Amino acid sequence: MKALGIINFEDNTAIIEGLGEERPIPAIAFLARYRIIDFVLSNMTNSGIDNVQVYCKEKPRNLIEHLGTGSHYNINSKRGKLRILYGEKSFSSPVYNHDIANFMLNMQYIEEDTNPYVVVAPSYFIYSLDYNEVLKQHIDTGADITMLYTNTSEAKTSFLGCDVVTVDKEKNITAIDKNRGNTKTKSVSLECYVMSKKLFIELVKKAAATSSLYWFKDILKDSVGELDIKGYPIRGFVECINSLEQYYKISMALRDRGTANGLFKPGWPIYTQTNDSSPSLYVEGSSVKGSVVGNGAVIEGTVINSIISRNVTIKKGAVVKDSIVLQDSYIGENAKLDHVVVDKYAIIHHVKELKGTAEEPVYVKRRDRI
Amino acid sequence: MRPNTMAAMILAGGRGTRLLDLTKKVAKPAVHFGGKYRIIDFPLSNCANSGISTVGVLTQYESVLLNAYVAKDQFWGLDTNDGGVYVLTPREKDQTGFDVFRGTADAITQNIDFLDSVAPEYVLILSGDHIYKMNYDKMLQYHKESQADATIAVLEVSLKEASRFGIMNCDENDVIYEFEEKPKKPKSTLASMGIYIFTYKTLRKYLIADDKNPDSHHDFGKDIIPAYLNDNRKLCAYRFKGYWKDVGTVDSLWESNMDLLKHNNELDLGDPTWKIYTEDVNALPQYIGEDAEIENSYITQGSVVLGSVKNSVLGTNCQIGKGAVVVDSVIQPGAKIGEGAKVTRCIVADDVEIAPGAICGSADSGEIELVAKKYVE
Repeated sequence: MKALGIINFEDNTAIIEGLGEERPIPAIAFLARYRIIDFVLSNMTNSGIDNVQVYCKEKPRNLIEHLGTGSHYNINSKRGKLRILYGEKSFSSPVYNHDIANFMLNMQYIEEDTNPYVVVAPSYFIYSLDYNEVLKQHIDTGADITMLYTNTSEAKTSFLGCDVVTVDKEKNITAIDKNRGNTKTKSVSLECYVMSKKLFIELVKKAAATSSLYWFKDILKDSVGELDIKGYPIRGFVECINSLEQYYKISMALRDRGTANGLFKPGWPIYTQTNDSSPSLYVEGSSVKGSVVGNGAVIEGTVINSIISRNVTIKKGAVVKDSIVLQDSYIGENAKLDHVVVDKYAIIHHVKELKGTAEEPVYVKRRDRI
Repeated sequence: MRPNTMAAMILAGGRGTRLLDLTKKVAKPAVHFGGKYRIIDFPLSNCANSGISTVGVLTQYESVLLNAYVAKDQFWGLDTNDGGVYVLTPREKDQTGFDVFRGTADAITQNIDFLDSVAPEYVLILSGDHIYKMNYDKMLQYHKESQADATIAVLEVSLKEASRFGIMNCDENDVIYEFEEKPKKPKSTLASMGIYIFTYKTLRKYLIADDKNPDSHHDFGKDIIPAYLNDNRKLCAYRFKGYWKDVGTVDSLWESNMDLLKHNNELDLGDPTWKIYTEDVNALPQYIGEDAEIENSYITQGSVVLGSVKNSVLGTNCQIGKGAVVVDSVIQPGAKIGEGAKVTRCIVADDVEIAPGAICGSADSGEIELVAKKYVE
């Protein structure tokens, strides 16, 4: 595919309490063995995009460690390249640390790439899609920009704060607005744009010249009516992880095999970094039901409708219900967790009961000892 | 650059006939073990963890899959600049015809040119069909300290078992004075594990002499070790303590898998300081259904469990259908157990599909049943 992949970061309205304070959203662990960025990056490499730039808003360590050279995402080590880029100069200020500032600071790497097209997409929208189909429509229609959207009837509870688009019968985007959660049915923009690299660079420079606070989505909104912007609808599984509640809700929904089949499709592998964990041991006396379990776990207690990540220990008498337990955590004897998100390396030992709700799950901090 | 004083040579050419249909299309070292591993992952990971960078793998029987597998040296972190995994198969050579490896020693003799090019001071001979974790570097230190010409790793076995092994008779300093292959009346209980460290220069001479001997079996145990002893070379026994199992039969492969079910078992595959590495598969995490019943089992990535699993090991991408009951069994990667099927005391081979409602094996069978045919009715 003759396109440069640009994995953009989400704007400041996406806040995943707790989990998102420790690392950038793309690096958050997801569904027992993945990270959020695995989905968009796998979409790109599966589509044959071999040159990918990942823009990192903050705390790059996590992301650098997870992505490495990109070889585990099937990026050709000679012909392809994965670059992790961040705006060293804009890190310190959340207001000025937007995507345009980062693109401008790394403009030479965008300009020197030889691909005629760009596919820009953030990582916090989760779906499986072959971008070749989008590029094909883009070329066939002769549009200036083709943007992905999905129709939802859940706009009151999901995709809050996301861009919504008005699409006419010819799939022209005629307006871009925000989802304020006041209407059920909306067409949500996935913030994924296909265009010529030339136009992309022009728009980035124009945004920078217009306002020092402009994001790419702002200049795009300004361009409605001026440019020929077409929509590309995607159906099936699409979700946006932009809050802890959404993170929890989407994770839990994917415990269902049928739902998961909409995301994990045959011939479309979702890559991630291997951990060389052993299989998981379900010890005598344990009970596990309705759950997703990563490798390396040792389960002695009871797990119901939960997500257990790699190398988690659940001791005797512990009951983990409707909860998400991240990598290397330890749930001590007789602890009772109900609607809890336990971050990595946490130890729950002395406090025996934690209870949250689906709307407000209790969050246990990384490396916390309770 | 790391010092490259010891090269490892893994003998992986055998068929493993006693594994029956499990080795019909793959060599024994490529047989799956413990849900996600292949047997050869153990010596390869041990090499990587022991700081050995050059590993030759000698393959012969049904070697296509095995050759492709071990060639991916990045799986074990062996893709370093100063080493790697080298696939060594029988080949046609100048002046001599094409010949298969005639024995364990011959496999090394035929690759003397390879070893010469690596020019190691020591050679570690391993077999590709044992399950164990061992630090070969410690054994090398022992070999150097005792100034031996060869060091053989030994394991203390019971007197009853001793007649099944090659037994090393040693003096009080663990210097070997006699080697007996499967003795009827064993004088010692130190069994050879088939792990040897040789000082390469000396070994090279013996291999060349052995090659010219028309009466030789070209075997380390039968020919090379006795020749060393005849010449009063110093052979030392290196005592190994820990889990070690030859998984040469369906029963022993099953048993070794069952050993993983013991909590805090000796092999401890979860030990972060001595990981066993293997192929990285892109499978989903384990999905455990709402009505699943799991008791004392070892389950890996990609498995979907909707039925009941008890005292069993499930491999990568296994599917256990609704109402299926799997007891005391090893389900190899990709196998599917249909709805309501009952599997008891079986090894279900890779990718085998068991029809809904089928019954395989029984609780009171003496031997473990190997289910290797697809669509068992």
